[in-house]
Amino acid sequence: MDHQKYLKLLRFDEAELASRRAFFKVGDEDLKRLADLRAFAEQHSDAVIDAFYEMLLGHAETKRFFPDEAAVRRVKRLQRDYFLGLFSGRCDLEYVQDRLRVGAAHERIGLSPKWYLGAYRQYLALLRTKLLADFDAERAELCAQSLERLVFFDMSIAIDTYIAANVETIGRHQHAIRELSTPVIRVHDRILLMPLVGTVDSLRASQIMETLLVRVVDEKARYVIIDIAGVPVVDTKVADSLVKTTSAVRLLGAETILTGISPPIARTIVQLGVEIVNMHTRARLQEGIELALELAGKVIVDRKPTG
Amino acid sequence: MVEVISRVEVPIACEDDVVVVRRRVRVLAGQRQLDSFAVAAVTTATSELVRNVFVHAGGGKAILEEVTDGTRYGLRATFIDEGPGIDDLERVLRGGYSTAHTMGLGLSGSRRLVDRFEIETEPGKGTCVKIEKWAPF
Amino acid sequence: MIGSVPILRIGRTLLLSIQLELSDAVAETLQNDVLLAIEKHGTSSLVIDITGFDFVDTYVARILAETSKMARLMGTETVIVGMRPEVAATLVRMGYTMEGVRFALDLDEGLGLLGHVIAR
Repeated sequence: MDHQKYLKLLRFDEAELASRRAFFKVGDEDLKRLADLRAFAEQHSDAVIDAFYEMLLGHAETKRFFPDEAAVRRVKRLQRDYFLGLFSGRCDLEYVQDRLRVGAAHERIGLSPKWYLGAYRQYLALLRTKLLADFDAERAELCAQSLERLVFFDMSIAIDTYIAANVETIGRHQHAIRELSTPVIRVHDRILLMPLVGTVDSLRASQIMETLLVRVVDEKARYVIIDIAGVPVVDTKVADSLVKTTSAVRLLGAETILTGISPPIARTIVQLGVEIVNMHTRARLQEGIELALELAGKVIVDRKPTG
Repeated sequence: MVEVISRVEVPIACEDDVVVVRRRVRVLAGQRQLDSFAVAAVTTATSELVRNVFVHAGGGKAILEEVTDGTRYGLRATFIDEGPGIDDLERVLRGGYSTAHTMGLGLSGSRRLVDRFEIETEPGKGTCVKIEKWAPF
Repeated sequence: MIGSVPILRIGRTLLLSIQLELSDAVAETLQNDVLLAIEKHGTSSLVIDITGFDFVDTYVARILAETSKMARLMGTETVIVGMRPEVAATLVRMGYTMEGVRFALDLDEGLGLLGHVIAR
């Protein structure tokens, strides 16, 4: 996912920017104070960044993100831009985009938030030492505070990026699971088959209904076979959802055939008192398919009559 | 934490307002990434609830809000009237209650269409129904 | 747009193709107009095409179901065609299954169900 997409996903507009800046207390005077430190930042950038990477490379788990010297040189260059960005005197949407780009890059390589947060603390500590060395205590403290505000602002964006990326991943997975759990097969002209395997909870029941209805209309189906041989438990809820689906299929002008009804399922349905209306039922899928063909005016015959 | 992105208040004064309010809901729901089934569900629920306000209380208002919880978008609609209220709420919600205008089926039915359904009613004072429908993950 | 819905007559079949959103008042007027047309023309079948509906609430569903039953009393069989998946799911979830009313996928199927054969 690129940073543009994150910007949209996080709804980062002028209003959000203003609200977040107010919450993190990133004022114009902070930005001005940091911009005044530009010369200081450029002077110390190499030293700060070197110390920063020394720490990252000294830790086994963070070291693996930097496979070779070239990689280190490259990220150091990027890190320098990022570092100097703190002293640009800006905190506008362009700045946010810049930060989102960094967050997106970290997410891409799988650098988890703990390393990011730990490294950022180190950053702040290093800078505070440099500030105290170069300026009187009062100015150093003010500058450190401004820096802290902007750094925390940055971190909030980075963490939002991680969350947004995860939510997006979960969404994609759920979509994939949905498609896998509600397969619809066209077995013959205008005859659809939906074989159900696994547990049917209320979310899946509603997906089953929606998927099936859309396919009935798309394929102009007249007959729909739902095979529940692979559903381990058919309780009142499952039975009820099947009846609902059947009712909805009828409203579209198609008929439902329920197959895969084993003796335990038949027993449960009757004992629970579930009324099976508006649908044909058969024990096995094979009979269901035969029934659908028969209803459609077709027959399966043996090529050579036996007996 | 649910955050309100936009809010609009629409009066319910005549029968044509049933059409006006549900149209606005349909547009808002479509904008907020609700899928077509969810749009139909929330539009239908709105239609039922606005009609209830008009038929049973002679009028009132609807408040339509676009909401987000940070990861998903949703639509919240609140229907308020100062009508006679509902005496036997439990029975109405079970769908067993039926008047000439099928309030029973309207209320119990719309409840089954949304992700959140809250109702407050006091005989003689009025009724307030709040519904929410959220976009899937 | 809310306006009037034309009632087309093809032989002994009435065709009602509703392409616009119905207000409650228009829905009731429509029911009345259809029944009057059945009486006037002596029709035997009625096809109501609701492809244009992206939602149907219990009010409109009730009018449709009632119209179908009233028409039957007058000797006319009704088929409702073109219901969208979203509408079917919503009605069923509300507990409104419109028992006793016949449905077909589209106009073609609906006419076929009523015993019409359209020459191709």
